[in-house]
Amino acid sequence: MSTKFGYSVRETAQNVRRNLSLTLASVLTVAVSLSLVGGAVLLRYGVNNVTDRWQNGVEFEVFLNSDASPEQSQRIGNELQTSKDVKRVVYISQEEQYKQFKLYFADQPEYLENVTPDKLPPSYRVVPREADPDIIKTIGARFTREPGVREVVFAEEAVRDLLKVSRVIQAVILGLALVLLMSASLLIFNTIRMAIFARRREIEVMKLVGATNWFIRVPFMLEGLFQGLAGTLSAFAVLYVAQEPAQRFIRDARLFEQFAIFDSQVLTTGLFMVVIGSLLGAVGAGVAASRFLDI
Amino acid sequence: MIKLENVTKKYSKEVVALRDASVDIQKGEFLFLVGPSGSGKSTFIRLLNKSESPDIGRIWVAGKDIAHLSKWKVPFLRRNIGCVFQDFKLLPSKTVYENVAFALEVINRPRHVVESQVPAILDLVGLAEKSGRFPHELSGGEQQRVSIARAFVNRPLILLADEPTGNLDPTTSEGIMRLLDRINRTGTTVVMATHDQGIVDAMRRRVIELAHGSIVRDQDRGVYS
Repeated sequence: MSTKFGYSVRETAQNVRRNLSLTLASVLTVAVSLSLVGGAVLLRYGVNNVTDRWQNGVEFEVFLNSDASPEQSQRIGNELQTSKDVKRVVYISQEEQYKQFKLYFADQPEYLENVTPDKLPPSYRVVPREADPDIIKTIGARFTREPGVREVVFAEEAVRDLLKVSRVIQAVILGLALVLLMSASLLIFNTIRMAIFARRREIEVMKLVGATNWFIRVPFMLEGLFQGLAGTLSAFAVLYVAQEPAQRFIRDARLFEQFAIFDSQVLTTGLFMVVIGSLLGAVGAGVAASRFLDI
Repeated sequence: MIKLENVTKKYSKEVVALRDASVDIQKGEFLFLVGPSGSGKSTFIRLLNKSESPDIGRIWVAGKDIAHLSKWKVPFLRRNIGCVFQDFKLLPSKTVYENVAFALEVINRPRHVVESQVPAILDLVGLAEKSGRFPHELSGGEQQRVSIARAFVNRPLILLADEPTGNLDPTTSEGIMRLLDRINRTGTTVVMATHDQGIVDAMRRRVIELAHGSIVRDQDRGVYS
């Protein structure tokens, strides 16, 4: 086993050195395409964080007083559910509100210290049957003076527009990223083909003396994996450094004043990129190896 | 050890490389395949190590039916078969020692096996003093000895040789044949394709003659023609 591992690593390092320029091209393409993928994912997270409550057709939210009695809450819930203008109602309890609150203010512990779940208002998120903003306003307004209701908040036109715009931006970025990912995998494919061509005599001898196909294939797949990972990690480094100023820019430009991406979401995105990048590298190389080794 | 049963191999509709060949080769035999270029000698050899598959017929090597051997098992078949070629197929960037060791390393033999087997086999082929040389620093005959050492270092049951003396002068060839004979005496079955009349006539071993893909003669203690 040790001979095999040492062999694979040595071969990989040698191949990378031999095809430095082509390797660099693959790594850079992976890096650019995956930064775009990662950027799109982060943007999506950020937009979702702000517009969370307005997803899936929610048009207004009825906030109750934090000390509203269970009877009051029950009555408003029933009224909403039985109304013929309402399609769907989702209840957000104080605990759930607190969970979201914690996420938003994760970097401001001084807020968290002073807030407990029982201080937050529970709410009903309402999906109406009608899309007309005037009708929605009249439905919502009915609840403003009900006992136990603190306020009714309507989705703003601006939020809806921003959702639309961000969807378009995301589609464009993802489309671009897809094209670049394809060219990245083609580049990796070609680098591996060159590497195989450079070693064809060795491969011929290996096949002759009975090396298994996996033994022959693994160094090439490791090379592809290395290219994929190197590209991914540089992409993530760039994103990691750029995301904080970008968030600040979006907030300062008053696009979304509450625009925020949580650290956990940045890390998730990074993980997602690593998975895509390594798969891209290893699979691209594996396909090239199987094809050109005729094994 | 090797058995062909009504084997036919075509490369296209017109080109029939081997036609309805049936041969039985015993363990420890030394067999010459003779015939002009294009008569099917190389195809015969390539069928035995599964570089090619027959279109019709069955082939057994070391007790296994290899006509229908699945792809992933081929490497394990080849570990029982050593191969020697006219053009040596040595790796120019590796020394004599490394060329031979390579054959063991790529089939995952442990280091202590490599370290004991390689010097022993280099001693056998008479190149112990040249283990640090590179192939281009050796004569043709020496290079062929390295290639034989590589083919035999894993102690295969069968040694296939496709024109091993094709590039060598008669005196050097004689030395190579002495080496192959020695390997044969260890119980290894040797199949050698050649059109070197002098060698075949001098050795007086079993001879199979091919012409246009058909076996036209199978003779014990035979001569070239």
